[in-house]
Amino acid sequence: MKKYISLLAAAGLAASPLLAQDAEWETEGLTDDAITIGVMGPFSGNASSYSKALIGMMAYYDKVNEEGGVHGRKLVAVQEDTACDSAKGLAAAKKLISQDEVFMLQGNSCSGVALALRPTIEEAGLPWIVAHAVSDSISDPLAGNIFHGVPTGRANGRAMAAFVLSKPDTSNVAIIEHSNDWAHSYSNPARDYLEENGVAPSLELTMERGQTDATAQVLKLRQEKPDFIIAALYEAETAIFLRDLKKYGMGDVPVMGTAGTDLENTLKRTGDFDTVKNYYVIHSYVDNLDGPLMQPWGEMIHKYYPDEELSTFSFVSIGSAEALVSALEAVGPELTRSKLMAALEEVRDFDTGILSDPITWTADDHQGVKGSAVAGFVDGEPTVLKAWGQPY
Amino acid sequence: MLMQLTLGGLSQGMIYALIALSLTVVYRSTTVVNFGHGDFVMAGAFLSYVLVVLAGVAFLPAAALAMIAMFVLGVMFNRGLIRPIRGGPHIGLALMCIAAGYLLRGIARMVWGREVLPMPPVFDMAPIFVGDLVITGDAVFIIGTVLVLLLLFFGLMALTDLGKMVQAVYQSPRGARLIGLNVDRFNDFSWGVGAALGALGGILVAPVSLLHPDLGASFLIKGFAAMTLGGFGSLGGAVLGGVLLGIAEQYAGAYLDTALIEITAYVVIVAVLFIRPQGLFGRKAVVKV
Repeated sequence: MKKYISLLAAAGLAASPLLAQDAEWETEGLTDDAITIGVMGPFSGNASSYSKALIGMMAYYDKVNEEGGVHGRKLVAVQEDTACDSAKGLAAAKKLISQDEVFMLQGNSCSGVALALRPTIEEAGLPWIVAHAVSDSISDPLAGNIFHGVPTGRANGRAMAAFVLSKPDTSNVAIIEHSNDWAHSYSNPARDYLEENGVAPSLELTMERGQTDATAQVLKLRQEKPDFIIAALYEAETAIFLRDLKKYGMGDVPVMGTAGTDLENTLKRTGDFDTVKNYYVIHSYVDNLDGPLMQPWGEMIHKYYPDEELSTFSFVSIGSAEALVSALEAVGPELTRSKLMAALEEVRDFDTGILSDPITWTADDHQGVKGSAVAGFVDGEPTVLKAWGQPY
Repeated sequence: MLMQLTLGGLSQGMIYALIALSLTVVYRSTTVVNFGHGDFVMAGAFLSYVLVVLAGVAFLPAAALAMIAMFVLGVMFNRGLIRPIRGGPHIGLALMCIAAGYLLRGIARMVWGREVLPMPPVFDMAPIFVGDLVITGDAVFIIGTVLVLLLLFFGLMALTDLGKMVQAVYQSPRGARLIGLNVDRFNDFSWGVGAALGALGGILVAPVSLLHPDLGASFLIKGFAAMTLGGFGSLGGAVLGGVLLGIAEQYAGAYLDTALIEITAYVVIVAVLFIRPQGLFGRKAVVKV
């Protein structure tokens, strides 16, 4: 018996540094008055307008901090630029994890970057709430520490196709997209939904990032005469594509865009209402951007970032920040990474007051938001819709 | 569709032609390939944006002012940063160009950081429909402007004493120096003209595209592809290369696959270097040993 006790004691002694190391890991990036959160995003480059999402999210941190933080701890954002580039994103993630030793990660626009980061972050094990990038593959298959806090591409892609088919007599649908994971994360589920409903896309086109002309694509569309076009394009290319559609006399064909664009900024970029009057976008919010339900959020962002110009991206990450704060509150003052992840898995039907659908994370499913509304111009005004001609 | 693609390609190709020509002007006089040239194109576009949108200047005077400013910047760049290291290795000159380009890009990012900016349409003409062919105001404006500029440029080169002096320096800087031409000043002038022509490319593309600080990168590749196709050092070849590249992109996109549009420039570079390294109008390099 004595021998066994000695063996156990020896094993315990041998394991104690590991246990201490685990305990240290559990509270890394945590002090009595601060929780450090690594916030990665494209703060430079031609997709940098997406970083507005992270500005909105950090404004929410500031609001929480001004109200006293969570159990006395302030949310301290450590910003890193990915420039929407996988290599830079990987360097940023490694710096945040190994050098800055943040407690957790939240943010990330650009699905391509987030996908490239997944293996590194999954291995590191710290909690990561994906607050903007939409690719399903970021959070599916399930990874214990990765939580998706926005509608994923699958949810959005299916919502896009459902809206397209809700227009009466729609049978000829064309798809134009970038050849990257972000675009496929919308177009593949949309294609699946169309095919489930007996509609095969009549034309599939590519428009690469940085292209300044869509003549060839539009001429092919002109020959095909589609009833509806699904466009999985970034903002700049969307504006160029819509301009060229109008230029070649196809301005009356409705176009369904992704959550990567919004009506107001697309209008601003094209500079012409006629060009965008038939443009529809995934709209993940409860109201128009200038509607009464969104107004307090805009005011919150301007309180902490007075010069920030608001766009649809400004609000998209706030919902997951609210869910995070709710989980942090539920854990209590004795916070650890494992306790936070367990608390996140207990979030159910969390009404953010900003996203059109609630957030639910379970132990089996970390894709928290399952649906989305659509926005389009009705009588010249941006309107939130649940189907063709039906207000939300 | 063929006519429409050709017109679209011609319009796009004219921009590439201008960028390739501006790269060639600098390359012929100084043998420096300006790897930062894409950012000069971007800077021209942003300067015109500032003048048109923020200062309320009409487009044409704004374009002229932006070109003058870029001419001055080109001269200053040569005098301040290139001339002092001119005797050093070529890689140093290339790196200096890249550094200057990134500096311009960094300034644009500091000022406009996260925004993708629209430029108001310049030539807001209703499209003309000729059967299936659509002739847009933008295409008319771009093709017309570049044609006029090319006529002026090549006319100046062929018909004036100044043009003959330029060609003398191109052919033999040492010979030109011996007959009393100020080659250093001429090099300043070439950098200035190169920067101004590149800027015009940016100014013309701004109203049909959108502005962002990374705008120049793809145009630099298109410029290189056009130069390669036309033949390194050939002014006429650069123009023809640009136009052919623009048209090739449209044909490849429409008749093969739209995914090919963006890689056409790279395919052209590889194909020309393998099949006819001297390009359409370049001279075959002969090394005497």
